Amino acid sequence: MIISSIPILIVDLIGSFLMIVLSFLSLRIVFKLRKQDNDNLIWTYLWWICLALSCFAVSRSAGHILKDLLLIADQKPFWNIVRPFSGAINTFMFIVVGAVTLFFERIWKIYQLIRKDRQALQSAHKELVFLNQNLEKLVEKRTNALSVSEYKYRKIFEVSKDIILVTGKNGKIVNLNPSGYNLLGLDRETDGIENRNISDFIAEPENWRDVMASIQNERSISVVELGIIASDGAVKRILLSGSMAETSDDESETIHFLIKDIEQRKLMEEQLAQADKLASIGELSSGVAHEINNPLGVILGYTQLLLRGEKNTSERYVDLKTIEKHVRSCKTIVEDLLSFSRKSETQKEMLDIHLIIEDVLTFVQHHSDIEHIVIEKEYNPGVQPLLVDEKKIKQVLINLVVNAIHAVGTKGRIWISTDLSEPAGDLIVKVKDDGHGIEKKHLKNIFDPFFTTKPTGEGTGLGLSVSYGIIKNHGGHIFVDSKTGVGTTFTVTLPAV
Amino acid sequence: MIPMRSALSFFAFSIAGLFVFADPALATQTHGQPEGLYVHQMAHIFFIISMWSLEFWLRQRNLTKERGWRYIQIAAVLFIVWNIDAAAVHFLDEYLDILGITKIDLWHIKIDNSQGQDSITILYYLMKLDHLLCVPAMFFLYFGLKTILKNTRTAAGVKTES
Repeated sequence: MIISSIPILIVDLIGSFLMIVLSFLSLRIVFKLRKQDNDNLIWTYLWWICLALSCFAVSRSAGHILKDLLLIADQKPFWNIVRPFSGAINTFMFIVVGAVTLFFERIWKIYQLIRKDRQALQSAHKELVFLNQNLEKLVEKRTNALSVSEYKYRKIFEVSKDIILVTGKNGKIVNLNPSGYNLLGLDRETDGIENRNISDFIAEPENWRDVMASIQNERSISVVELGIIASDGAVKRILLSGSMAETSDDESETIHFLIKDIEQRKLMEEQLAQADKLASIGELSSGVAHEINNPLGVILGYTQLLLRGEKNTSERYVDLKTIEKHVRSCKTIVEDLLSFSRKSETQKEMLDIHLIIEDVLTFVQHHSDIEHIVIEKEYNPGVQPLLVDEKKIKQVLINLVVNAIHAVGTKGRIWISTDLSEPAGDLIVKVKDDGHGIEKKHLKNIFDPFFTTKPTGEGTGLGLSVSYGIIKNHGGHIFVDSKTGVGTTFTVTLPAV
Repeated sequence: MIPMRSALSFFAFSIAGLFVFADPALATQTHGQPEGLYVHQMAHIFFIISMWSLEFWLRQRNLTKERGWRYIQIAAVLFIVWNIDAAAVHFLDEYLDILGITKIDLWHIKIDNSQGQDSITILYYLMKLDHLLCVPAMFFLYFGLKTILKNTRTAAGVKTES
């Protein structure tokens, strides 16, 4: 088959020329890439590829052009001499291009690693430069933040109404907040209790041992009720929870306690229970008194009728008088019970409490031997007249003052004061003595009807019950605070008009 | 211990002896004519493998998502096809010996096919135009690199601006 060789010649010549031109253009592009980022390994790799391709293009294309020109010029013998060299160079360059290309994956991996390391180094460098330039500011900023944080937590520690206590593992006190000092009745400045053991202040040592065992074993303890001994010896009820603070150093571990003073709450609960109990007793007493009052009236009436027909000297008259006397005693008790149960009628009018107190004191001084008892009065001149039943309030005050006289015995001191509560403006009357005080176990029964610590026959045990009923009937409150050997204080509050 | 000078003298004489008393058995292997063809064909295969590996890794590394590298991938594929073409022409030219090419004049050639199949002759003729494959391959390589350069410059510009 005879075929035109022109297409082959043209494609060969132009193609060879273009191969050289394009390879060098590619080389130029890679040169620019390298110039832009000389450290980029990929551009270096492409540079080698293009360089090898350029050499290959030159060797191959030059050979082809030379061959075509020599054959056109009919110089085949000369071409036969050149041909092996051209072919060998061509083959060699082929292998070089192939060999360089094979490294692409490895080069890419290395490049990625270098780039990653470079980025890490750059960011580390940036951070270092930033730290270097701003270290002082940063330290200042962090110090300030730390101070603010420290102040914040210090403030919480200082102003917390609950007690915050830090102890060592053995219970030795490390730190105690002001509320803790208040609870214990100690002065922070003078009574430093650091290095004392918290167990010294716990009322129930066996319970405290359980608490510490729980903390040691379980690293914490949830709410547990304990008694804590204040500096004046009073035992206050507390709710305690605590946990071991984790530290790297076992020796420096501390226990953090949060303690809540529940003494007031307990007292209020007890008072509520007392009020409930007294209300129940009042209901009962009132029922009983009503039922007994009428038969007593009938007995008294008939007794008095019978007395009219008897001579004063007869034995029967004496017997009837005895009946009349005891019936009257019973009626007094019944009336007292009615007063206690607040069922008795009251006649209230606006009166000056100070005048009532003065009348009471005059009455008591006439009827009791109080020569060696000092009565101190402290009246608040701001107290306004109150709407009260004079007779009944006098009865209350007589009861309280007489009780105080009995408590101090033949010699002692009694204080009577009036004041106004803030902000309600209620009247507060306090009757205080320095007598033998009331035992704690009796305090909860003191307002119970017929409860008395006096020997039989010396008191009915209705005085304070009646007082309680009268004060409640006036919308007020009556409290007692007593310490054995120190004295007793009765506090009466009456609402302002 | 043998002195250093004596050892060197012994080594020099031994080498000289090899040249002086050379025997045909000691001569290096000769390289006849077909060796060049084999080496060249092997180089083509090696080139195909290397281009295939380049194309494979470009895909594997997801580089072909970028236009510049995609052009280079096309260039690699064209280089593979071109190499297959070139190796096939060499095979027909030098090995099978079924085609006889005679230059009739400056502008014509005669291709004799001992098998008498025109299709092989035409295919051979077309395959001889291998620049139609390798030049586009070089074009794609060039444009690929140019696109990469452009993208790099744009990225660098954006980075500088930011």
